[in-house]
Amino acid sequence: MAEKFHTELKKLKADTLKMAQLGRFMLRTAVDALIRQDKELAASVVAKKDEIHDMEVRIEEHCYQLIALNQPMAKDMRIIACTLKVITASLRIGRYGKSIANTVVDLSSKPHIANLMSIPHMADLVIDMIDDAIAAYESDDLRPIEDLSSRDDTIDALRHSIFREGITYMMEDPKNISRCTHYIMVARYLERCADHACKIAENVQYMETGERVEIH
Amino acid sequence: MSESAIITTNNVNLWYNEKHALESVSIRVPKNRVTALIGPSGCGKSTLLRCFNRLNDLIDHVKITGEIMLDDENIHAPSTDVVTLRKKVGMVFQKPNPFPKTIYENVAYGPRVHGVRDKAELDRIVEESLRHAAIWDEVKERLNDSALGLSGGQQQRLCIARTLAVEPEVILMDEPCSSLDPIATAKIENLIERLKEDYTVIIVTHNMQQAARVSDYTGFMYIGKLIECGKTRQIFEHPKEELTENYITGRFG
Repeated sequence: MAEKFHTELKKLKADTLKMAQLGRFMLRTAVDALIRQDKELAASVVAKKDEIHDMEVRIEEHCYQLIALNQPMAKDMRIIACTLKVITASLRIGRYGKSIANTVVDLSSKPHIANLMSIPHMADLVIDMIDDAIAAYESDDLRPIEDLSSRDDTIDALRHSIFREGITYMMEDPKNISRCTHYIMVARYLERCADHACKIAENVQYMETGERVEIH
Repeated sequence: MSESAIITTNNVNLWYNEKHALESVSIRVPKNRVTALIGPSGCGKSTLLRCFNRLNDLIDHVKITGEIMLDDENIHAPSTDVVTLRKKVGMVFQKPNPFPKTIYENVAYGPRVHGVRDKAELDRIVEESLRHAAIWDEVKERLNDSALGLSGGQQQRLCIARTLAVEPEVILMDEPCSSLDPIATAKIENLIERLKEDYTVIIVTHNMQQAARVSDYTGFMYIGKLIECGKTRQIFEHPKEELTENYITGRFG
């Protein structure tokens, strides 16, 4: 009985990892599409939205089923609780990827202003945070997420800097308003994705130690 | 555990002949709370439970060292009267064991032994005990029927009523639901929740979900040792000891 349950838990974690990787992939690909102004690539991200949504529903149902049938306790319970949070965060990350992909159509007709400002750099940092949070969930190792809080501070600072820079270009020329508003929104999406990486990390910490921490 | 304790053991060791069944067990049992003892078969949880009202005295070749305090009194002190101790610390067993007498007589037996003779007083005690044990409505019309005609769950609640009739402070329950169906079990569990208003309950159970449902504190035992004891929520959410973790997640036991 317990053995079967623990095999199921392993499968649950493996499925969750796949979903987290898909969310990360959608975000990474959307940013690449934005940088390269590649509408087709952007469309391929939008096309993934149903897949990630279905994965979330399936994993969530699996969690409830495991709870109902096995009344898990201690770490087993914490793995399931953490998993429910990880899938929500991963879905959000994927959907922000989709939102960024949606801007590519509007932003592909003319060259980017100031090479997208700090957006590509910010995206790299955010995706590293997501990778580390997922790695911690996978490996039960908390080391990759130790410094996530200070990395999140950097992300907040970058978003603020993109906002100010965007305003500057808008004031220089009103024709930039629409484009820069998109940039500011993209920076906002990326900042939210970093918050979701922190959320995943908080829950991995709980899964591992039973202690609640706040990372932001 | 910062709440005031009704029972405290200090370094209790127990041997059945050569077998060291309890090893340096120190536990505080908080008053008016439900404490559950869990652990794999043979870990000593029933043995520990039976220490609290000196039921192990009835077994030959048992040796006990260490201190067991009930309300600041050492229960092994020469001045302790075992009958009084067992009045203060009642027990409910795994299998319902009503006397082959009427329902009324089962409950009235204890108070009679302790000297209550007045019929009206006995009637009052019987009704109150049966009400407390949540079985009054089911038996009030047939108090003079044999207790053996009751269902298993009713018999167990009758046994609880019989324990309550002598006004104990502590009620020990050794797997009280293991011979009952889920509905009878739910009734006993609801009853335990109500009993803690007036009594302290210590329950031994192999059913971890039951321990999690009914208790405020849980102690995990393993091969005669108390490995970990703490608030039930903490034990089942994030136990400190790896052994506890492995047991409650079904990795052994």
